[in-house]
Amino acid sequence: MKAISLKNPKVLVRSILLLIYVAVLVIMLLTGKRHTILIDNKDAGDGSYLAIDGMSVQIDKQEAAEYYPGDRDRALVNGQKHTIKVEIFSDGKIFESSFALPLGQDMVLLSVPKLVAGIEPYIEPFSVQLEQASAPEAGPPQGMQFGGDSVPPAEEAAPTAPALIQ
Amino acid sequence: MSAKKSIGKFISDYAVLIIFTVITLAAISPSGLSISYIIQEVITRLGRNSFLVLALLLPIFAGMGLNFGMTLGAMAGQIGLIFAVNWSVAGWQGLVFAVLIGLPISVFLGWICGAVMNKAKGREMVTGYILAFFINGIYQFFVLYMMGSVIPIRNAAILLSRGYGIRNTLNLESVRQSLDNIFMLKVGPFLVPVITFVIIALLCVFIVWFKRTKLGQDMRAVGQDMVVADAAGIPVEKTRIIAIIISTVLACVGQIIFLQNMGNLATYNAHDQTGFFAVAAILVGGASVKRASIANVFIGVVLLHAMFIVSPLAGQRLFGSAMIGEYFRQFIGYGAIALSLVLYAWKSRKAADDARSGLRHGASGNGNGAGGQA
Repeated sequence: MKAISLKNPKVLVRSILLLIYVAVLVIMLLTGKRHTILIDNKDAGDGSYLAIDGMSVQIDKQEAAEYYPGDRDRALVNGQKHTIKVEIFSDGKIFESSFALPLGQDMVLLSVPKLVAGIEPYIEPFSVQLEQASAPEAGPPQGMQFGGDSVPPAEEAAPTAPALIQ
Repeated sequence: MSAKKSIGKFISDYAVLIIFTVITLAAISPSGLSISYIIQEVITRLGRNSFLVLALLLPIFAGMGLNFGMTLGAMAGQIGLIFAVNWSVAGWQGLVFAVLIGLPISVFLGWICGAVMNKAKGREMVTGYILAFFINGIYQFFVLYMMGSVIPIRNAAILLSRGYGIRNTLNLESVRQSLDNIFMLKVGPFLVPVITFVIIALLCVFIVWFKRTKLGQDMRAVGQDMVVADAAGIPVEKTRIIAIIISTVLACVGQIIFLQNMGNLATYNAHDQTGFFAVAAILVGGASVKRASIANVFIGVVLLHAMFIVSPLAGQRLFGSAMIGEYFRQFIGYGAIALSLVLYAWKSRKAADDARSGLRHGASGNGNGAGGQA
């Protein structure tokens, strides 16, 4: 049996190509990973900080949104490093900060009052049982018909066997 | 007489194309759809489907007929997309991620498909068709039982409520039209997904270039005559396997492009009609089992989809039921394949008969001549 040696140019080139392949895969995962940020403007339960009475919050280059006490909204972002810009209406102060999200965390809660008050951590993991928006009742009630370019009805039942063996 | 013969040859060569053109043009008026709407729909569907249909070209060049085994590549692409949704990889990065996951799977499945087809030379189409059923069973086992139990799935939203197996329909919202929307050009009233068309154009350039390479020439030689190619030292079986592997990989990418445009993945049956649809499109475009070109792909996709767009509404207006149009659409789709295959078989038999009778006449002519000389 032939020994595999990295001195063999063929093996070396193939190894480099494999490494590039894996590297591109990892880069796509890191840059394309989608996170949901829940932007929160609520009082602390123990009263250690208070909700901000009117502000606009902008994540990255997304459209800024206005928040009042008790508001919570979400922003969808790709990748881990992001910036936040908060403009408080009452005194016109502007806070700008950058933050990184953990790769494995799909959803985080970002408390703006904590950020403005300088209380760490202002980003906390947030878990919720997500339901796929289109999982049930999506698409017209026929199969992927000939050129119909349509999707079949979604049900949780296991798929039926092909007509050939039904 | 020769003009009559050439008209007859033209009609027999392009019977499917002519029938489709006539039916589609006749159905436009009763459908009541505006020409601009039809053109916009055709542009969208060209971007969505052309890549898949182009995947059929190389096996035809290699004499392996219409590759119904491309369904295997479609399954690989779907597995890639499931992992992209599982890992929440969004945007065009999600599509590249899906391609990179699907690529090795499609190469492996293509290799299996090519090896099996080498054992069934001359019956590649039916072999590919049945092989797709077989691999579909393995795909269903993999997605329905392995995912979530053996293969970890971190996104509970895509799992069935029992805890393993993927849901029947996946929402591809995270990658929906992410390729099309990178650069959408507005030309008059029409929206053109430029990047999608650039990718399709690049594939066309690749096919043209590939045909001129040593491997491309080998494929054409194998397609013309395997025995002669073998005698010339071309590795016939290896060349055929490579043709199928490339076709399967292109089908994988094509299915990802198709599904990103649709925005939904019917996990267990999105791939079912992929092969049939692509085959119907290329046949409608004027290709045959032995001969196909890039032009056939685009003509076929435009004609088939123009018919798909207008026929349900034409059926509704003419017969009072949209279902008539739907049935008509299915009937025409399968009919195009059947008619094309029948015409091909008829022409092959006629060519063989002509050759035989030519030989017979030639032999008797030679005999007479010889007799005369003697």
